[in-house]
Amino acid sequence: MSALEIRNIQKRYGDVETLKGINIALESGEFLVLLGSSGCGKSTLLNIIAGLAEPSGGDILIGERSILGAHPKDRDIAMVFQSYALYPNMSVARNIGFGLEMRKVPTAEREKAVRDTAMLLQIENLLDRKPGQLSGGQRQRVAIGRALVRNPRVFLFDEPLSNLDAKLRMEMRTELKRLHQLLGTTVVYVTHDQIEAMTLATRIAVMRDGRIEQLGTPEEIYDRPATLYVAGFVGSPQMNILDAELTGSGLRIAGEEAFPLPETFRSAVTAGRRVKVGVRPEALRLASADVTGIRLPASIEVMELTGPELVTTARIGEQRITACLPPRTSLMPGSAQVFCFDEAALHLFDAENGRSLLAR
Amino acid sequence: MSGTWISTRAWLLMLPLLVVMIGVIGWPLVDTVRLSFTDAKLVGTTGSFVGVDNYERMLTGSSFQRALVTTTWFAVVSVAAEMVLGVLAALLLNQRFRGRTALRALMILPWALPTVVNATLWRLIYNPEYGALNAALTQLGLIDSYRSWLGEPGSALTALIIADCWKNFPLVALIALAALQAVPRDITAAALVDGAGPFNRFRFVIMPYLAGPLLVALVLRTIEAFKVFDIIWVMTRGGPANSTRTLSILVYQEAFSFQRAGAGASLALIVTLLVTVLAAAYAALLRRAAGAS
Repeated sequence: MSALEIRNIQKRYGDVETLKGINIALESGEFLVLLGSSGCGKSTLLNIIAGLAEPSGGDILIGERSILGAHPKDRDIAMVFQSYALYPNMSVARNIGFGLEMRKVPTAEREKAVRDTAMLLQIENLLDRKPGQLSGGQRQRVAIGRALVRNPRVFLFDEPLSNLDAKLRMEMRTELKRLHQLLGTTVVYVTHDQIEAMTLATRIAVMRDGRIEQLGTPEEIYDRPATLYVAGFVGSPQMNILDAELTGSGLRIAGEEAFPLPETFRSAVTAGRRVKVGVRPEALRLASADVTGIRLPASIEVMELTGPELVTTARIGEQRITACLPPRTSLMPGSAQVFCFDEAALHLFDAENGRSLLAR
Repeated sequence: MSGTWISTRAWLLMLPLLVVMIGVIGWPLVDTVRLSFTDAKLVGTTGSFVGVDNYERMLTGSSFQRALVTTTWFAVVSVAAEMVLGVLAALLLNQRFRGRTALRALMILPWALPTVVNATLWRLIYNPEYGALNAALTQLGLIDSYRSWLGEPGSALTALIIADCWKNFPLVALIALAALQAVPRDITAAALVDGAGPFNRFRFVIMPYLAGPLLVALVLRTIEAFKVFDIIWVMTRGGPANSTRTLSILVYQEAFSFQRAGAGASLALIVTLLVTVLAAAYAALLRRAAGAS
C-alpha cells in the first residue's frame, strides 16, 4: 500500500501550466526529495499535497484515500516551512503543542507529547522561550518539533534548511537524517540543493518546467542521469558536457582522435550523429603510461585547492573541462596534460533532445 | 569643528520656527490660562481676577457633567464600532476576489470626504420629510411613519455616532489592512495545517500582528472622538435638548454663544487636560506593547 500517491497532478494559472501531470507513488517510510531550480513547480506540488493550493487536475491519495478537497488539517500531514513559520507571540512549548491544542487533545497528554518531542530534538531547555529569543537553528528545531508532535502519516518539508548558514545547514541535515532513520516517517522534501537531495533522499524526483525529469534513487540519479539537465543539475562540480560526433563504431570528442565506442552504447547510435558526452570531474585523472581508458589531451588553465581535492579547469579545443584531482598533484597553468577516464564513466546524450543514449 | 558652533547653528536654524510656535501656540495657551482666572467677556470687558471661580462653577455645574457623559459615550461607542467595522472590512478586503482593488479604493472615500460634507450628507439621509433612512425603513416595514432621527433626544446621539463611524471606520480598516498584509503567508498556512479554524486563526495567529497598529488607531481615534466638534455642529448644534452637546460644543457655546470668554477658557483647559491624560495613558500602553513584542 502506498503511503502517498500523486496521480497525474496538473496545475494551471490562467494560460501558464506550472505542473504538467506529475505521477509519484511513495511507500511508507520513504524520503522523497523534490529537486529542481526555482520555478520548476516543486513547491506548488508540495502546497497541493498540503491542501494550501488546489490542483487543476489529477488526484492525491494518502493511505489509499483521496484527500482532494479535504481541509489541510484533515489530511494527516504536517509541514515544516522555509521561514519556520513559528507563532511569534507563543512560547516554544505552545508552538509545538498548538496543533494538538486545536485538535482538543487533553492538556496532560499534550504536555507529555510536547516534552517528549522537545527531548527528541534536544530543546527541552527552550520550552518557555519565545521564537524571537531563539537562534535560526533552534527555531528550525521547534518547527520540526511542531510537525513531529502530531505524528502524521506524511511530513512535508519546504526548503527547511535554506535560511541557515552553511555549517548549521550541515548539522541540521544530519539531524534530519537521524530523525528519519529513528522514526521511519514518510517524508516529501522540497529543495534546490542537490547535496541535501543526495544525502537525505531514498528517492529523488528531479523536476523541470512542471515535469519530472527523472525519478530514482540518489545512486541512479547520480550514476545514470536520464537527461542532460539531470546530469548537469546533480553533482558538484557539475558533470563535464562536451560536444562529440559518432564516426561509425567510434566516438570523436571535441575534434580529437576517435576511440572505439563502448559496447553499452553501440545499439543506440548511427554514424555522423551529433551527441554530447558527459564525464564527471571526479572520474577524470591524469594519464600515465600504465593507465588505460579514454584519453583527452588538454591544456591546464586554473587549479583550485579545496583541501580534499585539486579542482582543475582545462581546455580541450574550444571547450572547457573540470577535473577533481588528488590534492598533491603538481601541475602548471598552461602546461599540456592528458586526462583519462574509464569507459564505465562515459555518459552519452542525444544532442537534439538531451536524453541519455544508455541502453536500458 | 567645535560642538558649540554646531549647537549654536542648530538653534539659529530653529529660531524662526520657535518664534512662530511661541506666537501661535505658546502665547495663546498662556493667555487662555490667564483668561480662565478672570470673568472676561468676549467683547466689552477685559474682566477682573476671580480666582478659581470659573473652574469651580464648571466642574460642579450640571452642563459640564452631562457633556462629559455625552462625550465619553460618543467616544467609546463610536471608536469601538469603528474598530470592529474597520477590522471586519480589512479582513474582507484582504481576501482574493475580483474587484478587490476597486473596493479598497472605494472604501477610503468616506474618510477622504470633508467632515462638513459628510455631516450634510447624513443630515439628508436622516431628513424627517424626504430622508433615505425613513424611506428605506418604511418600505421594509420596520417603522410606520417617518421619524425625525436628529430631532428626538432619544435617537440624535446614536444617529451622530453612525454618521461618525461611517466616516472614520475606513481609517481603522486601512491601518488594519496594512497590518494584515504584513502577516507572513507561511504563518497562516502553518495555522491551517495545525487545524486552527477561522476564529482561532484570527485570535491566536492574526491578532498578535494587528494589536500594535490597532492600538495606534485606537489612540488617534479616541483623542479625536473626545474632541469632536464639526460633525455635531453641522448636524445638530448640540441639540435637541442638549442631548448631543459634547465638551467641545459646550466650550464653543460658553466662549462664543454666551460670550463668557473666562468661563470658556477654563472649560477648554479642562478638556485639554482630559485629552492629555488620555494621550499619556495610551502612550504608556503603547510603550508597554512595544516592550512586549
